[in-house]
Amino acid sequence: MKRRTILAFMLDRPGVLNKVSMLIRKKMYNVDTLTVCSSRIQGISRMTITLEEDDQRKVEQIIRQLEKFTEVISVKELHKDNSYWREVAIVKLEVDAAHLESFQGRYNFEILDRKSEDIHILQVAGSTRHIDGFLDEIGREYIVEIARTGVSAMEK
Amino acid sequence: MTGKNLVMGALKAQGVRYIFGYTGGAIMPIFDEMENFGDIQFIMSRHEQGAVFMAQGLSRASLSTEEPLIGVCISTSGPGAMNLTTGIADAYMDSVPLVAITGQVATGVIATDAFQESDVVGVMMPICKQTYMPLAADEVEATFHEAFYVATTGRGGPVVVDVPKDVQDQEVSTGYSFDAKGYRPDLPGFFFHPTPEREPLQRAIHLINRSERPIMFCGHGVINSNGGKLLQKFAEKVNIPFAFTLHGLSALPSDHHLSLGMMGMHGTVEANRAIMEADLLISFGMRFDDRVTGKLNEYAMNADVIHVEIDPSEIEKNVATTVAINADVRRTLEFLLDDPMLTCKPRRRWFEKIASFREVMAKDLQEELEGGVGEDGSLLMKSIIHQLSELTGGKDLIVPDVGQHQMMAARFYTYQTENSWFASGGAGTMGASLPMSLGVKLARPDERVWSISGDGGFQMNIQELGTVMEQQIDVKILIFNNGYLGMVRQWQTLFFDGRYAGTPMQSPDFGLIAQAYNIPYEKVENREEVRPALQRTMDSKGPVIVEFICDPSEVILPMIPSGGGFNDMIVKRPARKKQAAAKSKGGKK
Repeated sequence: MKRRTILAFMLDRPGVLNKVSMLIRKKMYNVDTLTVCSSRIQGISRMTITLEEDDQRKVEQIIRQLEKFTEVISVKELHKDNSYWREVAIVKLEVDAAHLESFQGRYNFEILDRKSEDIHILQVAGSTRHIDGFLDEIGREYIVEIARTGVSAMEK
Repeated sequence: MTGKNLVMGALKAQGVRYIFGYTGGAIMPIFDEMENFGDIQFIMSRHEQGAVFMAQGLSRASLSTEEPLIGVCISTSGPGAMNLTTGIADAYMDSVPLVAITGQVATGVIATDAFQESDVVGVMMPICKQTYMPLAADEVEATFHEAFYVATTGRGGPVVVDVPKDVQDQEVSTGYSFDAKGYRPDLPGFFFHPTPEREPLQRAIHLINRSERPIMFCGHGVINSNGGKLLQKFAEKVNIPFAFTLHGLSALPSDHHLSLGMMGMHGTVEANRAIMEADLLISFGMRFDDRVTGKLNEYAMNADVIHVEIDPSEIEKNVATTVAINADVRRTLEFLLDDPMLTCKPRRRWFEKIASFREVMAKDLQEELEGGVGEDGSLLMKSIIHQLSELTGGKDLIVPDVGQHQMMAARFYTYQTENSWFASGGAGTMGASLPMSLGVKLARPDERVWSISGDGGFQMNIQELGTVMEQQIDVKILIFNNGYLGMVRQWQTLFFDGRYAGTPMQSPDFGLIAQAYNIPYEKVENREEVRPALQRTMDSKGPVIVEFICDPSEVILPMIPSGGGFNDMIVKRPARKKQAAAKSKGGKK
């Protein structure tokens, strides 16, 4: 299934997130990621939704139905080749420092905390694929805990 | 000044004349305030669902009058508000503007599972156009005016305002001061686009001029924009036949020479066959619902589609369009009619073809309409409707319930008055007719109103006879009693080998019910009595109930099976299974 990113601007009012998530549920999608933050303009939030859908018409239908909400100001799909999709992961890993250092050059992560000789908390940012690649290479079996922000996106 | 006074002040400023509803703990302050507002009449329903359908009737029927009224219904918190939900979801499906006011428990106890508390905003959100909850009395005025604006602007819909009890009682320093005239709330996300753009109009005209076998669709948007007369003018100017959606009925006369009648699942053969063969569909104010299209990948496969629709989220939802015009229907028709490029063709071959489609069922239907009774000698609904249409000249207002009789009323009444058909269509809510007809009558007091129900639907809101009795609202109530839930029975006949699970039903003595509510009643069992009984009812003053004993085996045809395509249209009634079954039973003995 093709991954889609939808960017929406909406009034920062109670209930708006509820409406958006209800619409996506009604359309029978499972949200991959959903992030909300404030925008440049006070009182207006910026929401990035990612979900999986191959059919372009269905994506356009979701966009039109989102636009219909009184509180939603604008909605558009962001295409992969014309926008940046990024997320941040905070990972607690049980690995020794030497193993970790061998990835520093390629993945550029930041060590936030070193609990003990082999427990590290680190932060890695980038595309979903970049983070997945890092976790795969370092070995998912070493993960003690992980938190990911979900995708935030911006058009070029 | 208090919150409750501001609520009533806002309603008065919006020109509200009727409030339908039912009181209760959390709404008592607003009710207490009503007597200070003499211009607004309160009408008590016997169940909150009745109130919301009355409000719907008022909104639907008055939108074509000089002073459109917005239906307002009111209920208490918890169960009162929950009883409104069906009618609100129904109004949302059918684009009916109305404002529902619900009491809520006091702000201090919200979300503590207080007595009669439910999360009204949370429940209503997916079934209405917008929800509000003012949390202080000084928010009340702006909230209510915004609610009316949103309900009535663009595609209409229901709006819910949930008012906590302490907000109703809260003191504010200023009096009612809001200037509602020309008020436009600041809603940067509320788009509404009434004027068509030039480029798609030009492309539409090009398609219309080029087409050999075009057909036009008249949807609810034609009625909602009061565009019936213009659509008729347009159809005549370009010489294109038109078909109606269920809600488009009565936008223009159904016996017009270009009319193909209703389309879709129970539409006419001529409408559905013409759609299959058309090379262009021009649809005005409709949403290509599954009951209209049948199987989508077989629908009008050789046709280009022009879709004129005020709600952009309806465009491309079900049917791919060639030209989309996101605008008000009447405004679009004004532009189209003014365009000098528009041409007219005789389309002789196309009309000959359509004439041949008309013949497919004509003889069978004529026999049924004239015979008036089924094989067991009991009355045929379609014949009663046909006679009602003849007697009234098709000029009266018809409020059907939901089911077989509704389709009969859609097909066999010849609508002559613009906006004279009021039905629960999208949601298909049984029990809608009786309360809705009361709102219709209040909106159009000088016209005759017929509430037509089956025995099943009538009993779903039978308690509203109490409202009829109390208010003496002059509606003519027809009950088509066939002892079954007829539409489901028809499906069982056609698709479930005649196994009638859950459809036979016993009814009370409707004569005694009528007597209890002090409403004149008569029962009609023979075909000779139909016309005189209808005539007496027409001539009478005040509410009347007439019960017709109908043939349970009557079916409404043609029928496109649910999920089927137009090629699957059933035009002949199936051979009677009953006799075959009886024979096989005999054999076993």
